[in-house]
Amino acid sequence: MRTRATLSGIFASVAILIVGWQAGSAAITAVHSSSGTAGSNSAATARATSPAPTPSVSAAPAAPTAPAAPAAPAAPGGTFTGNSVSTQYGSVQVQVVVANGKITDVKALHLTDDGGRSVQISNSAAPILRSEVLSSQSARVSTVGGATYTSDAYLSSLQSALDQAGI
Amino acid sequence: MTPHVFEAMGTVVSLTLPEGKGAADAVEAVIQCFADFDERFSLYRPDSELSLVARGELALTASSEELRSSYAASLRWRDETGGAFTPHRPDGTVDLNGTVKALAMQAAADELFRGGFLDWCLNVGGDVLSAGYQPDGAAWRVGVVDPADRSALLFAISLTGSRHAVATSGSAERGDHIWSASALDRTYVQATVVADDIETADVLATAIIAGGPSTLATIVGRWSVDVLTVARDGAMTATPGLSAALATG
Repeated sequence: MRTRATLSGIFASVAILIVGWQAGSAAITAVHSSSGTAGSNSAATARATSPAPTPSVSAAPAAPTAPAAPAAPAAPGGTFTGNSVSTQYGSVQVQVVVANGKITDVKALHLTDDGGRSVQISNSAAPILRSEVLSSQSARVSTVGGATYTSDAYLSSLQSALDQAGI
Repeated sequence: MTPHVFEAMGTVVSLTLPEGKGAADAVEAVIQCFADFDERFSLYRPDSELSLVARGELALTASSEELRSSYAASLRWRDETGGAFTPHRPDGTVDLNGTVKALAMQAAADELFRGGFLDWCLNVGGDVLSAGYQPDGAAWRVGVVDPADRSALLFAISLTGSRHAVATSGSAERGDHIWSASALDRTYVQATVVADDIETADVLATAIIAGGPSTLATIVGRWSVDVLTVARDGAMTATPGLSAALATG
């Protein structure tokens, strides 16, 4: 289960991290897990192909290419493919190679950015000052938005005043 | 450009469109559109189809295609938002208010386009969907109320490019049913989402209020939307797109 958590962490973090790749090789050049779970956090070049994933690993959102084996307490290993996750920048799918419980390689299988360029996923919300926000409402508005009001609340709303004034 | 104002879905609709040939018919069609949705989906009306389902008098599997597809759409949103948005009340009742208003607004938009109206602004209880431009050629401009003072605006943005929809959700509003499949987060008192379509804007605004910062982080990475949140202490965050819109006016 620890490995499953690691894999999930990797899959999740890939969606929010800076992902770089080249059109031809489609290889992630820099991926690291933000979850801090066990396992290698950096993509290495070694390609391990241990054929013995444990049953608990195969329960992860993955399709092991190696046959399941009842081989016991050995650390899990194998090649695992995550689900394709759609983002506003295109869909992302990764494959990880695990050897002895450590991730030894991470490959991007499916990145559909049109230009094939590196994409910085940076749409995260950042603090903004009240003064920066307030300055925007000096210009005349066409309509007033806000959390849904009832018919009664409308009567005392800014939108009501705007409607009566006409545009 | 006198706004046409009428009640629907327990709130008030303000529709601004150019006067002229066909305007009255278009307004009538929009009013009828909202009435149809209300008749099917309102839980306030004991005779609505959804009320029959809620009381167990009509099996979901025997309900109309419209109701089932709306429910299916809500379930997809639930899955996509990790349960932050859900069509199920805590007691298990199916409540489609979270998407029905947006669906009705989109249907109204279709009516307007069918009538040949390409420039209009539709406000339903504080959620806005627009098309085209104002008569003077300027973009439609939406002011959003300050959650701390309902008589004041907090900010305003112009709807340009592909952005046509602005939805705001708040934790303090009466009649705004917000629940979640997981524990409610109480970080934000208001979230405004600007999107290309009203269903996305509406659902995601609700999800951000219910799910808090972690849901916000997921949403802005996954959907092409601009967001501004107001926290309980008044602190605000904005996505780059929304900050840029504020700066350009």
